[in-house]
This record gives sequence, structure tokens and C-alpha cells, in this order.
Amino acid sequence: MTEKNQGQVLAKDSISPKVKFSFGGVATIIFLLAYAVFSVVPMIWLALAPSKNAAELVSAAPMAFGSPQGYLNAWNNLMTFEDGVLVTWIVNSIWYTFLIVTISSLSALSAGYALASTAVPLKRFLLSVTLVAMIIPAVALVLPLFLEVSAIGAFDTPWAVILPSSFYPFGVFLAYIHFSTSIPRDVYEAAKIDGAGEFATFAKIAFPLSKGLLGMLAFFSFSAAWANYFLPYVLLSSSANYTLPVGLGLLFSSTPSLNPLNGAQSSVIGRPEIALAGLLVGIPILIVFLLSSRFLVRGILAGAVKS
Amino acid sequence: MVLPYVILLLAFGVAPVVIAIATSLEPSGVNPDGGLGNYLYALTEFRFLPAAINVAIFLAIYLPSMLLVVVSVALMLDNLKPKVTLPLRLAYIVPAALTGSLSVLIWYILLEPTLSPYKDLLIGMGLTKSGQIWNTGNLAIIFVMMAFFTGAGNWIVVQYGSLQSIPDDLIEASIIDGASKFQIAMQIKLPLIRKYLLYMGVLVFAAGLQIFVEPQLISASVFPGLASDWSLNQLSYTFAFASNNLAGAAALSMVLLIVCAVAAILIVFKTDFFDRPKKAGRSK
Repeated sequence: MTEKNQGQVLAKDSISPKVKFSFGGVATIIFLLAYAVFSVVPMIWLALAPSKNAAELVSAAPMAFGSPQGYLNAWNNLMTFEDGVLVTWIVNSIWYTFLIVTISSLSALSAGYALASTAVPLKRFLLSVTLVAMIIPAVALVLPLFLEVSAIGAFDTPWAVILPSSFYPFGVFLAYIHFSTSIPRDVYEAAKIDGAGEFATFAKIAFPLSKGLLGMLAFFSFSAAWANYFLPYVLLSSSANYTLPVGLGLLFSSTPSLNPLNGAQSSVIGRPEIALAGLLVGIPILIVFLLSSRFLVRGILAGAVKS
Repeated sequence: MVLPYVILLLAFGVAPVVIAIATSLEPSGVNPDGGLGNYLYALTEFRFLPAAINVAIFLAIYLPSMLLVVVSVALMLDNLKPKVTLPLRLAYIVPAALTGSLSVLIWYILLEPTLSPYKDLLIGMGLTKSGQIWNTGNLAIIFVMMAFFTGAGNWIVVQYGSLQSIPDDLIEASIIDGASKFQIAMQIKLPLIRKYLLYMGVLVFAAGLQIFVEPQLISASVFPGLASDWSLNQLSYTFAFASNNLAGAAALSMVLLIVCAVAAILIVFKTDFFDRPKKAGRSK
């Protein structure tokens, strides 16, 4: 729909704002619904695909369900790939992501608090650097990080991924906004007058008032860390250290599932297996999204600004 | 208390850049003199211009379509009751779960006429073989679709949120003044969320400039060689890992970083985006 069409839709709608089912209103709703369907179709396909075998994927209707046994078969076939390295990838993804979310959220929370409500040397400078860093995409630093990580001998270790991914300027920005707008300064001052130190003020007053913020920090940190591909792809080289998304890439480059010319022709890793591996990458993000819908409902940027 | 973050900032924000600058000035096999020659080499390498053109075409389609659709959908949602649109907004963020390598898998399937949920549509359009779709001429538009599909939903929710922060009485006053919904959208709502749109524009641009995963995985695994060195970041990766020219790779990645940094610095210091965090929210 072009902007002009949309304008007409909205304009027509406004001629009779009291009439619920104006033409423009109906057209808007149809468009919004169609876009929603378009958004969820691939996820549903992915969830259904492992229930079918490779032949059924082509012959059956795209959204048909095969059998529950299909998931089990696909899983067992995936387990034949490099002696079940998939399990290692899942475990790696979980503990890397857990540490990244923990380190990044806590460091961002305390830094945001300190910048908003205590006297930090070079405060303005730190804030400016944080703002610039938050706009530069993480991808831009991948090659420089590779040079650094190789220089200090950390290449192909889990820490090469965990520590750089814990640098979280966006989180510091969110926390800074939160602490400078939603908790009145008097609250801290009162605590300090009562003799509480910086850390005690944070731990006893600011932290308990920041559960929503912490949830939001963890949410954004998780969604960036879980699916990250480029950084672990470049900084890890042995398959035993891979994360699930990098492993998924390895699966389709070393098996004939997507390209018949790849890998051994006898491989049992076919399309249902790839779909199941993909589902393992996508489902945790989807679950976290849906659980976090409270933040998303209020709107992310606006939510950061409001209490 | 700011210390853990400052350590991370220095170690993984500042240090890599310093190391990359130093590396970019070192001698390399193709440029034994080192220095700025590495930058000249990277910018004149025969694959640089085609990759730059690819990324420019990609951005020229991606950025405007992203802004247009995100703003239109956010405005449409804003005209409806929040309760009504909740399931829609949840549906819109589902594709954000399909990112990175999974996005490549999903688009392989969507564009494969034998598998696609849209196979009838593809076949109806006369596209019966994936080779008709996956060819060099279509790559930019395919990568736009991939990036758009993954990113648009989150931005719709973000911009819907920024529209929600406009005070209700302002909109009501305009309705009493006889403004149409279209006029309200164009003359009141959009100007008020201008800085959020600008912020989105810069982030979308910076991320698009760095495109890597989609072309890299497509040509490394699914259609061998189809999009090798298609983007600038891929070229930098090739310099580093295929041509063993770390200095050239560092130089090219510094060029990309500088473009992003300039955009970031402009938005931070030349706009009021970060000046007034105490913005009044729409009271509930």
C-alpha cells in the first residue's frame, strides 16, 4: 500500500469517525491482518516441517501436519551429525547467552544508575561515547574484535564471544534514562542523608525499583545474543565451541539438505532435520518475545522513557 | 559502579578500534610499505566498486521501504484501540525470531517453488525453478526482503510506542479543529516522532551498510559462489581469511566503521535526540 493510498484510507475513515465500519477502516484492518498472516506463516511452516519426511515436504500441502513421529525421526537423524554435536551447540548457546545476558544487564544497570545519580568523573564524555557506540552496529566491530582476540590468544574460546557480546551501550542508555526520569532524585538524596553509601543506595533503593528495567535489559540482550551469527562465526573455529546459529549454518553448508552438491550424498540430514535445527534457534526467541510482550505492548522507546 | 561497564567499553569498544587502526597501517603482502596505502588498496581493489554498488542499491531500496511501511503500519495501528491491535503487534514481532542463519534458511524455503508455503503464488507467477529466483540480478531485492522481514516488525512496535507517547489531548484538540486523520498523521503525529524516525533511519542505514550474513551464507552453502564478495563486509572478510591480508581487511572495516561513526556522531550531536530524556509521556 502506498503512502497516498494509505492517506486516502485514513482520510476517508475520518469523514465519518463515528461509523465503525467505514470503507477505509475495513481496508486498513484487512491490510493489517494480511500483514500479520504474512508475518507468522514462515514460523508456522518451520514448526510443522519436521513432522513430515523429506518427500512429504514436497508432496503434502505446505501447511499440513505429518506425524509426531516425524520430530523424533528428525532429531535422531540430527544426532548422527558429528556424534550429536547439536547437543553441544544447544548447551553452548544456553550458557554463553546466560552469561552474556547476566554480565551485560548488570553492568548496564549499575553504569546507568551511576551516570544518572552519582558524581562520575568524565560523565558527559562517557555518555557521549555510549550514545555513539550504541548507534554503531555490533557487526562493524567484528573484524577489529577478531584482530584483538587473536592478539591476546583468546581465539576459538567461549570467552571470545561472551565478553565482547557483554558490552552493552544500548542497555546503559536505557538504564540511564530510567534512573534519570523515573526515580525522583530526592529519594537518593534522602538515602544519602540517612548515611547510606553509593552502593547501599543502589542495592536498597534503586535496584528494587528497577525490576521492569532489568527485564527489558535482559530481553534486548537475550534477543541479540541468542541469534548472533557473525561474531561467533568469525571468533570460533572448532565445531565443539559453536553456538546453535553457527551450527545451523554449518549444517546447511556440510550436508546436502539445501544444496545436493554439498557433503555426502548418503547423509541423513535432510530438510526436515534442518527445519528442526532451525526451530531450536527460533523457538526460544519467540517464547521470550511473547513472555516479554508487556514491554512490547507499551512500546520500546516510549517504554524506556515512561516509568 | 560504572567501572565494569567502562572496562567492557575500553576492552571491547575502544581497544578493537585502536588495534584495527594499527593493523590497517601495517605492511601487507600486496602493500609492503604499509601506511595509508592499505586504504588505497582496499578502495581500489577490483571487487570494491561492485560490492559498494550492491550495498548502495540494497540500501536505496531497503531504507525507504522500511521507513514507509513501518510508519504507515504504525499510524494505522495508532488509529485503532490498543486492545484490538495487541494480537497484531505480537504477530508482527514473530519474524524477528527468524534472524541470522535462520533467516537464510527461511528465505531459501519461501523462495523454493517445491517447498514454499507460497508455492501456488510462485508457480502462478511462472517461477517453477529456484534458479529463476536466485540469480545475480535479483540478489539485492532478495536481501532487502530478508532484512525487511526480520526487522520491520520490531520497528513497527517501537514506532507505535513512540506514537503512543503523544498526549491524547493534542490529538483530540486537532479533531475538534476539524483536522482529518490524514492531516493529523502528517502534520502532528509524524513531526512529533520525527526524532524517533531519524534514529531508526540511522540504525537501519548503519546495519544495512554492514550486511554480511545473508550473502555470505547463501554463497557459502546454498548456492555456491552466487553472492561471493557481494557486500563490503564480505570483501573485508575475504581480505582477512582468503587473501591473508589483515591490513587491507582492517582498512576496509575501518572505512565502514567511520561511515557509521559519522552518522552516529551527527545524530548524537547535531540533533536534539538525546538532549531531553524527560519527555512527557501520554498520561494513562
